[in-house]
Amino acid sequence: MRVKKHALGLLLAMTPMLALAQSAAPAPPRLSQGEAIRWEKTVPVIDSGKWTGKRLADGQPDVQGNWANTIANQNNWTDPQGGEPGAKPPKTTREQRAPSRVSDPADGKVPFQPWAQTIAQEYFSNFHNPVKPEYIEPFARCAPGGVPKSFTWHGYEIRQYPGYVLFLFNSGTRIVHLDGKPHLPDSIKLWNADSRGHWEGNTLVVDVTNNNAKARLGRSGEFFSDQVHIVERYIFDNDGKRYNYVATITDPTVYTRPWTTTIPSRRYGLEQGDEPDGWHYEGEVANRPGKPPLDEYYERICVENNGGFGQVATTQAR
Amino acid sequence: MLKFRLLVSATLAALVVAANASAANGIPRLPSGKPDFSGIWQTTSAADFDLEPHAARKDAPPGAGIVEGNEIPYLPAALEQKKRNFEKRTTTDPRLKCWTLGTPRGIYYPEPFQIFQRDRDLTLVFQFGHSVRTIHTNGTLHPEVTDNEFWLGDSRGKWDGDTLVVDVKDFNDETWLDRAGNFHSPELHVVERWKFLDANTIEYAATLEDPKVFSRPWNISVVLHRHREKNFQLIEDYCYTLDYDQYYPVPGKVEGTR
Repeated sequence: MRVKKHALGLLLAMTPMLALAQSAAPAPPRLSQGEAIRWEKTVPVIDSGKWTGKRLADGQPDVQGNWANTIANQNNWTDPQGGEPGAKPPKTTREQRAPSRVSDPADGKVPFQPWAQTIAQEYFSNFHNPVKPEYIEPFARCAPGGVPKSFTWHGYEIRQYPGYVLFLFNSGTRIVHLDGKPHLPDSIKLWNADSRGHWEGNTLVVDVTNNNAKARLGRSGEFFSDQVHIVERYIFDNDGKRYNYVATITDPTVYTRPWTTTIPSRRYGLEQGDEPDGWHYEGEVANRPGKPPLDEYYERICVENNGGFGQVATTQAR
Repeated sequence: MLKFRLLVSATLAALVVAANASAANGIPRLPSGKPDFSGIWQTTSAADFDLEPHAARKDAPPGAGIVEGNEIPYLPAALEQKKRNFEKRTTTDPRLKCWTLGTPRGIYYPEPFQIFQRDRDLTLVFQFGHSVRTIHTNGTLHPEVTDNEFWLGDSRGKWDGDTLVVDVKDFNDETWLDRAGNFHSPELHVVERWKFLDANTIEYAATLEDPKVFSRPWNISVVLHRHREKNFQLIEDYCYTLDYDQYYPVPGKVEGTR
């Protein structure tokens, strides 16, 4: 047995015996994953406009740090807090839960062509009964979450550099080019797609092509094809604490019209009183005695650790 | 004539000195003044095929090796293990499963990697497996817990003049050092030295010690070249997904195209 004891989240999740061996201090109760997922009911309004917050040396708005969505995970794209396929219907009414991630059209539904609606329904119906390999969520095999699903999954880190914005997701890493270089040739299809961005005031605008379309969207069956074109707008609030991910998804082979998804997100950080929780905020506290707390991330390894659904820095017990 | 030769030699010497000075000053730097290793890098050496000197064989081009003194100083039992690994290398190299290559193997593996650098850290994104290694340069220490087992180790760097010195420990024993079955235990400790030779060339040197596997510390060194091809970029290589790629056909309107 070689459990590695380094992460607060992991530490809290360990068996009582090991936790005892690790530390005399009693471990605080850990929220289950379901409880830890944020359950905000509304999506804040953040307008595109000027950036008045702090900037990096190269002039980019400084949005580095840890972020996570605020309205549950990828279980259900259009009723984010309505449960995954096959779950018991929630006791709340639809109006008491967060709105659909489909912000346009106004009915909150993905405008599928009829044949595509049938396939989405097929994925939905077979989620818990994967009689064909393609019904198994690619996440469960450590596939990257891709665009845009990654923004509904665990918290993630943004690092910025002259010419680049880097997204370090729990499942997958995405390099957004701000360097003016052209998209890859169309024949190259990728899990994280190919991203070319630029800043417009408080908004990072990213043109996304070359999507292999295999990661799909929610467990609720939504998908697009590898012909999809996504234009993302990351609209940051000038207080640096929130942003909305607003992406327009165009794929005439699957939909009757372009549609827009909106995913509200918030910052996490030790400096604002958050504690790493292993889900939204996977950071670790760096070892630097005598100095203020500072967070950092350990390596993210999935398939080698035989875990599925992403892993944070742990070699599994065996 | 002698006078002329002396003059030529003196001029040449002066030129060499000038070139060195310009190389020292001509390397990319962050606004903080530290060397800036940002860019896409790759070795042209055959190190990943076998760190030790080897003639050509079916599964490897020849290479003079990158081990100082040529031989890796294995302890007797470890040498036997290495030989077993070598015999089975075409089926048991973790690379064949697309598993994270580890440190230092990722550096001299024959696919590019990109360095993104800030004052507080360097982020290395390897094309192979799209794995990510962070080298912290913000004065933080290795984690207090001493038995972490990371695939890439825990990397803490500091500057020795213009050389980045990185202390790497807290490894697991799952990674190999090359395709020839050279290996290590969780006790592996690597000290890397990253130094610009010129603006487009890095000398990467590392000392490896592992009291369970090697009789003494030993050194390797490779040269890394900057990719300067027009529009060159990493192309994600999540090769472990290739085995199940076929199970995720992209739905199309006609059933036969699914």
